[in-house]
Amino acid sequence: MIGGLFIYNHKGEVLISRVYRDDIGRNAVDAFRVNVIHARQQVRSPVTNIARTSFFHVKRSNIWLAAVTKQNVNAAMVFEFLYKMCDVMTAYFGKISEENIKNNFVLIYELLDEILDFGYPQNSETGALKTFITQQGIKSQSKEEQSQITSQVTGQIGWRREGIKYRRQVLSAHVSGRVVMKSYLSGMPECKFGMNDKIVIDKQGKGGTTDDTGKSELGGSGKQSIAIDDCTFHQCVRLSKFDSERSISFIPPDGEYELMRYRTTKDIILPFRVIPLVREVGRTKLEVKVVIKSNFKPSLLAQKIEVRIPTPLNTSGVQVICMKGKAKYKASENAIVWKIKRMAGMKESQISAEIELLPTNDKKKWARPPISMNFEVPFAPSGLKVRYLKVFEPKLNYSDHDVIKWVRYIGRSGIYETRC
Amino acid sequence: MPYFGSEETVKELKRALSNPNVQADRLRYRDYISKVIRYMTQGLDVSALFMEMVKASATVDIVQKKLVYLYMCTYASVKPELALLAINTLRKDCADPNPMVRGLALRNMCNLRMPGLTEYLEQPLVAGLRDKASYVRRVAVLGCAKMHSLQPSTEIDSSIVNELYALLRDPDPVVVVNCLRALEEILKDEGGVVINKPIAHHLLNRMKDLDSWSQSEVLTFLLRYIPRSDEELFDVLSLLDAFLQSPHAHVAMATLCLFLHYASSHTAVQNDALQRSTAPLLASCGTTSRELRFAGLCHIRQVMRSQPSLFASHYKRFFCSYSEPGYIKLHKMEILVELVNDENVALVLEELRSYCTDVSPELAQAAITAIGRIARTYTEKCLEILTGLLSLKQDHITSAVIQAFKDLVWFCPQSTASVCNAIESCTDRPQDSEGKRALLWLLGEHSEGISSAPYVLEELCADELKTEWSPGVKLELLTAAVKMFLSRPAETQDTLGRLLHHCIEEESDMCVRDRALFYYRLLQRGIQETKRVLSGPKSDPSLSMLTGRQEEPVIRWVSDFNTLAPLMNKHDSMLKESERLLATQPMGVFSALAPLMDNGTSSPLQTERQRRASEPVVTTTENEPPPGDTDTTLSSHGKEDEEEAFCLSASPPLSHEEFEKLWVELQTLHTQNLLAPCAQTAPETLQAILQMVHIQTLAFTPAHTLPWRAFLYTRSAATIILTEILQEEDTVQVSVKQYPENKLALRGFLSTLQSAFQTLNAENTCENVALSF
Repeated sequence: MIGGLFIYNHKGEVLISRVYRDDIGRNAVDAFRVNVIHARQQVRSPVTNIARTSFFHVKRSNIWLAAVTKQNVNAAMVFEFLYKMCDVMTAYFGKISEENIKNNFVLIYELLDEILDFGYPQNSETGALKTFITQQGIKSQSKEEQSQITSQVTGQIGWRREGIKYRRQVLSAHVSGRVVMKSYLSGMPECKFGMNDKIVIDKQGKGGTTDDTGKSELGGSGKQSIAIDDCTFHQCVRLSKFDSERSISFIPPDGEYELMRYRTTKDIILPFRVIPLVREVGRTKLEVKVVIKSNFKPSLLAQKIEVRIPTPLNTSGVQVICMKGKAKYKASENAIVWKIKRMAGMKESQISAEIELLPTNDKKKWARPPISMNFEVPFAPSGLKVRYLKVFEPKLNYSDHDVIKWVRYIGRSGIYETRC
Repeated sequence: MPYFGSEETVKELKRALSNPNVQADRLRYRDYISKVIRYMTQGLDVSALFMEMVKASATVDIVQKKLVYLYMCTYASVKPELALLAINTLRKDCADPNPMVRGLALRNMCNLRMPGLTEYLEQPLVAGLRDKASYVRRVAVLGCAKMHSLQPSTEIDSSIVNELYALLRDPDPVVVVNCLRALEEILKDEGGVVINKPIAHHLLNRMKDLDSWSQSEVLTFLLRYIPRSDEELFDVLSLLDAFLQSPHAHVAMATLCLFLHYASSHTAVQNDALQRSTAPLLASCGTTSRELRFAGLCHIRQVMRSQPSLFASHYKRFFCSYSEPGYIKLHKMEILVELVNDENVALVLEELRSYCTDVSPELAQAAITAIGRIARTYTEKCLEILTGLLSLKQDHITSAVIQAFKDLVWFCPQSTASVCNAIESCTDRPQDSEGKRALLWLLGEHSEGISSAPYVLEELCADELKTEWSPGVKLELLTAAVKMFLSRPAETQDTLGRLLHHCIEEESDMCVRDRALFYYRLLQRGIQETKRVLSGPKSDPSLSMLTGRQEEPVIRWVSDFNTLAPLMNKHDSMLKESERLLATQPMGVFSALAPLMDNGTSSPLQTERQRRASEPVVTTTENEPPPGDTDTTLSSHGKEDEEEAFCLSASPPLSHEEFEKLWVELQTLHTQNLLAPCAQTAPETLQAILQMVHIQTLAFTPAHTLPWRAFLYTRSAATIILTEILQEEDTVQVSVKQYPENKLALRGFLSTLQSAFQTLNAENTCENVALSF
């Protein structure tokens, strides 16, 4: 299995190195640095084979994480494991950066000790790990806590420790291509989650119980139900129940977690349209005009809009005129960055720029990279909506009504590109 | 920083760690210990602090304990006698009331890599296996495997094995999976853990309790179990049905693998499973993580080997996004080529065309090659695009387009006219040798269709005389000139004459010179004779019938599915495969494996044989025989190779980098002293002599320097032999490395080498004699 895990900074300095199996020597650390991090050409594959040792690497900002093995392992699993590892570290100390890793290196060694043993994944759920690694490290656990560890590690529910108590019961769902849930609930509650999944709605429609959710107060999407192409769930969701009844019921982990991830391809409302116009005026001048149109209900506001218009490498100067927001030419990024703080629905805004070029004898034509865009909109462009979320806790005396719930919909741009 | 004044640093740390004031202050003490670990991580040797660190292990601070254990596990093998001091503390901890401390101590005790540990280990391990806390049991179970790996040669303790088998029924899911892992390692020599019916059914019932890592491992273990009846088989499959849609790509793929494996005699079930797993596979290539996307794409390509049309309706998912890394784009293009059908061809071509102007020349060329492959079915549309690309006048694009034309003409003779027109109007010349060769081939083969062909050839020929080209291009140039002479003698005669003259008189490359001489003599025998020899088929229409790759049976790739193999390129995946075989089969497979290693590039004889084995696929294009082929050819090749006479060959050439990599990787197999101390006198002569016996000299130090060194390599059948010759004073030492090992070839090589040296000596003595006279 995994023979060793190494973490490097962008210069290739080793920040963490943990070897699990004998067949991985110290020279493996250097082999990866020399062959991959310091290699001249671009990374050709996330898996590198050096001297019959396979190196799987993942890059987070400028940190390299590499798993090393000599066996023919399941590649998808190793990558997923590396990502899990990143998640765990993020849950403990926030963003993965050189600074954070250096400051928390003791903690990381502790984590690596628990997560893998002899190269085999053992326990990778942040919730459960927090009982082992408390960052205090002092042997001061009471008898009660000790027995808790015992029951915890024997228990069936690896993702939630028992005996969590909160005064207020808070729960919120946040829909954005994935459903992220934050729950702070006492005891071992059982939750049910409902959404406007087409299959469920159709089924209920036949049964005669029609829901009122069709009356949407949200953005452009007036659809009653959406067709979900495929979805994946957090391990706490009972898959068998989902398969048979399409109902999502689960015992939630504590804190923030991703309940489900879904994908739709049909009837997606694109919140923005980007219309680019590029005109080459002679050899040393380019005229660019970009119009963006917001395509959702006027009462809603999109936020943090950023349009990135690429410019050729031989740009010497740029003059920009825009009606809304701020635009700037960033020479280091070879792009005009246009930022708009807020924009209501059904509006239009445009920017025009004159780009002066240095004459070059380079015959290569400019490749015209796409215009990319970032934004946040307060609705789910997929049309997914949360219909209900119910909480049942039989042992402790709080009911569904006592739970404070709220839902926030955010449509965040992933890769939003328009070719020009 | 740690490399400078490292001794000072270690001394300073030593002083601090033994300072009672520091020891009294818990936080400061821990701080110094973490400093030690930090230096250890950076590669500084801090083993001198072992004594102080052992002392620090006797503490109540768990974090400090963990750090010290980490230190001890790293250096225990260097200082075994000091490590024994720590054993007492560890054993005491193994009896601690806190399960976490017990587990920690046991785990680290097993991690100490030193001999003689076993006697101390056994008792706490057995106790750990029966511990009431599952945390300790998890550790103990894997501890058994670690103990075994410490002393792999010792007898397997059957009581421990039995205990582990019993623990498969443990209530804790991780203990169960750890048991499987441990048993697998301990019983490796006997074929790994045995999965019988009760165990298999038990595991199947526990599947839903396991975490995703365990699930995918258990599914792999279950591959070993063969259901007794069809009824049982379908029960098992329906139990696992839900896992086909698992959110974790690796679990979904492991399940698919199991389905395909179990249902190998039920094609309908297999197809259904493949159909149902399209969603998770597609989802895995839509994830935000590039690496998982890459893994997903590689697996999709494997599935497509059997069901090319499975993903046809999802072709849009394989359009590249601008910011994706090259390795993903390349795979997506490959997939797109396979998915083309009548409905989507226009859109796919449109998309591919936009990739042709990619900033990276490699991707642009890949896109052009992809269009070239689609052109075999949709000739007209693609030709239009390809011809349009020529007008961009960029070297790398022109070169790739001409190469695509070359392949196209070979496959679809009906496209010849338009290709010829395109070449006619193209004024740009490719600059790289591959592109040049393609252009020359087209000119020579279709000189009737290209009216300006002789003039282009003349221009290229003049170029050739000015600048040095690679031998490959020169060979192609010669052939093209002779062929053109046959069809358009008047316009070519002059050029051909000059070319032949140049190649025979001034060329230093033997191959080119020989070829030129050959053509010269052939032409002397008359035009008819030359025509008979040179005119082969101009295209192979029978190949154009093959619009896509043939569907392979699932069984060809299923054994590799969901491992590392699909992610590596073909050659590497074969290495992996052979390694796996090596691991499982003890002896006598070397020769059988030999054809796998070089895949038809080693000797002409072998290539010929492979050509015969997989007739339709070996052509001028990159369409190599599918890797699965080797499975079938494996057994038949083995025998032949053993009987085959020993012969050396220096091709394909090995680059310096490759040589260096192999040299570092391999162990020296054989060293020998030669009694021929005058090798250094004339390295050039030596090189020439060795070349005659097909041993290539890669590098040598200048003559008359001591010690004198030379690096040689050669190939025989399927092994590659690397050699270093080192001459000091009056001894010549030869060290040989070989991969894969083949005693027969090694012996042959050594005797060849020896006789080469003797020849050299004989020559030298002659010279000396001549001089003395």
